Amino acid sequence: MARCLAVFASLNQVALVTRALRREEVYVEMLRTPRCLSHTGCSFALGCRIEDLALLEQVCRKCKIEPGGVFEDVEESSIGLDNALLDE
Amino acid sequence: MIYLDNAATSWPKPPAVARAVASALTHGAGNPGRTSHHRAMDAALTVQECRENLAQLFGIANPLRICFTANATEALNLAIKGILSPGDHVVCSSMEHNSVWRPLFALEEHGVDLSIAEADVCGVVQVDHVDRLLRPNTKLIAMLHASNVNGAIQLIGEIGRLARKRGIALLADAAQTAGSIPIDAEAMSIDLLAFPGHKGLLGPQGTGGLYVAESIDLRPLKEGGTGSDSNSPKQPLYYPDKLESGTLNFPGIAGLNESVRYLLRKGVAHIERREQLLTQRLLLGLGKIDGVTLYGPPLGSPRAAVVSFNLRGTDPVFVASELEKRADVACRPGWHCAGLAHRTQGTQQTGTVRLSPGQFTKMAEIETTLNAIEDLAKER
Repeated sequence: MARCLAVFASLNQVALVTRALRREEVYVEMLRTPRCLSHTGCSFALGCRIEDLALLEQVCRKCKIEPGGVFEDVEESSIGLDNALLDE
Repeated sequence: MIYLDNAATSWPKPPAVARAVASALTHGAGNPGRTSHHRAMDAALTVQECRENLAQLFGIANPLRICFTANATEALNLAIKGILSPGDHVVCSSMEHNSVWRPLFALEEHGVDLSIAEADVCGVVQVDHVDRLLRPNTKLIAMLHASNVNGAIQLIGEIGRLARKRGIALLADAAQTAGSIPIDAEAMSIDLLAFPGHKGLLGPQGTGGLYVAESIDLRPLKEGGTGSDSNSPKQPLYYPDKLESGTLNFPGIAGLNESVRYLLRKGVAHIERREQLLTQRLLLGLGKIDGVTLYGPPLGSPRAAVVSFNLRGTDPVFVASELEKRADVACRPGWHCAGLAHRTQGTQQTGTVRLSPGQFTKMAEIETTLNAIEDLAKER
């Protein structure tokens, strides 16, 4: 199953989005952002199915939170910026 | 024990509060925002749930604009010192608690101008009085919602409208009203709302918070670890991280979350009605006792669940001590950390005895307390 990783600045933002998605019965995984995507040090991310991405982005807009980027979820060692699906 | 000291800290708490604190300490081995194991993530979700419940309780659209603090005093200091700069002007009321008066007094020595709006004989500040004190450089109106000395409720909604019209931020100190009197921050034009977790919100001591409207940006009181942007020497600019450095009081917040859930189920308006009944009964009974002087709004007027009185020629400390001995009444004598308010109501030399019922107080306990005061009064 294809998955993606949405990176956020802080765990507070991740927790807000996670709870909002759970209310929509979408279950996402709260994760530490892999090192290669954590440009500014510690940050947190949400792992979700590709088909839930649109809803995730909708929730983020509603919560006025902008993800640092949304990436294909592959092995940490192979994640690179080229994998960005949606990146500012 | 007849507990009439809810204005200092509420007791008892809903049983779920203690259970949540114990569970956090026993099973919740996670520091929210610092690591990635599931206990830490679960803790973060609980913290977020608490923010959302508080946002619902206070009519706040964005829960991430609620920052946790150790108490209302820290929240008030954060707001006052985070917004005011030398050259700014601020207005407060003459009923403020020391948690507002002292930081403002301290800032006066650093070039902030302070005007104090005098309250009327009931302890209420009139809106036109505040209006007359405003200047072009007024940055903030800092106002308690209700007095911890005499229960007088300020016209926060009207002052909020005035502040909004004049482009001035309003800081409301909800130490005596959060959880006891309905508050809608957006409808009341409150830009900064400081609240304790352990009074009307029924949570554990060591909890509190500050709501910061989107239109306001504060300087933090402290910088440090936030679990975000760790490689940068700069404090994050986004909320709540900007104002929440250091490990949060997770067990306390877990308990607070349960107490706020309880309040949402029960309804603050319902609690307000119940506390009003108890308070008005106290006022009615005390008013009939010879030698009792009452302070604050008269019988029948709205007030927070705070009643201050003195017994003719009797030290309030003696009265409180006798009430405890005779009827196991827990109350508070003295100046209640509010010297300015006592100066305003003319009790700066004596202080008062303060009785503050809570939502779990029984009417029979009020009657027992009144009887004990009456007996004491007859002996004086």
